[in-house]
Amino acid sequence: MHLFPLVLSYHSPIPIYSYFDLLLWVLRLRKRVRVVGRSMLPTLNPNDEVFVNLVAYRRARPKVGDIVLVQHPEQSHLKILKRITAVSPQNQLFLQGDNPLESNDSRHFGTVPASLVYGRVSSLFL
Amino acid sequence: MKNLTSMIKAWFPAEEAHAHCDGPCGVYDPADARIKAEAVLSMTKKILALEPPAGDDANAMAQYLNTMSRYIAIKEDQASKTKHELLVLWTDFFKPAHLEAYPDLHETFWNAAKLCSACKTGVSLENATALMEAVEKIHGMFWGAKGRDVPYYTAS
Repeated sequence: MHLFPLVLSYHSPIPIYSYFDLLLWVLRLRKRVRVVGRSMLPTLNPNDEVFVNLVAYRRARPKVGDIVLVQHPEQSHLKILKRITAVSPQNQLFLQGDNPLESNDSRHFGTVPASLVYGRVSSLFL
Repeated sequence: MKNLTSMIKAWFPAEEAHAHCDGPCGVYDPADARIKAEAVLSMTKKILALEPPAGDDANAMAQYLNTMSRYIAIKEDQASKTKHELLVLWTDFFKPAHLEAYPDLHETFWNAAKLCSACKTGVSLENATALMEAVEKIHGMFWGAKGRDVPYYTAS
């Protein structure tokens, strides 16, 4: 018996996609990506596919709790999925994996400007 | 909907998004290769300078062989490690875009990797010195690609 649960996750689950998401994907307002790696467990499993809302931050600012698709700040060809755990007034984002033991994130590469965000994960494609 | 999902997955493969644990930390430094290449040069010099004992003193001969074996083992090990460090820079750090600024990038790394092998299998002051020169050139390319002016130095 564990005194504490091994995984602490207070985040609400990501909804399953709807036909509306599919329509938005066809209209290129959603991007579909496949998860590689374990840093977003238990929220996202390796090989899960998600829809990313590419227009999520046209009117709103990124906020704590959002899972975002971001250009890696040091390797521009890499797109990474992380959760925002802090937002500075200058729109710098602190990103972390939900699985902190197996994640390489802002704890290593520092904060990331909001301009590197492609969009917010909106639904699961499964 | 499940059928539709699997059809879309099959027909329109999704791009990968990384949620990695250990891969893309993006921290590279040619200093790793330089330190190891320096060890190769140092061991090469020591091997060339080590005199075999005169006469037939078995104990002195054992000491000599032991020291020589240690020098050789370290030289080979460090040459392998230099090659590994260089290959990481070549294949992981440098991107096709860097070829524009450094058209001889592939040639430089290829020759440097071959020098590592030559230093590992042979004892040549010339090769070990050439390896250090190659590492210095790569140091310049690396920091140039990052747009930083980092002076080259050696520990020894």
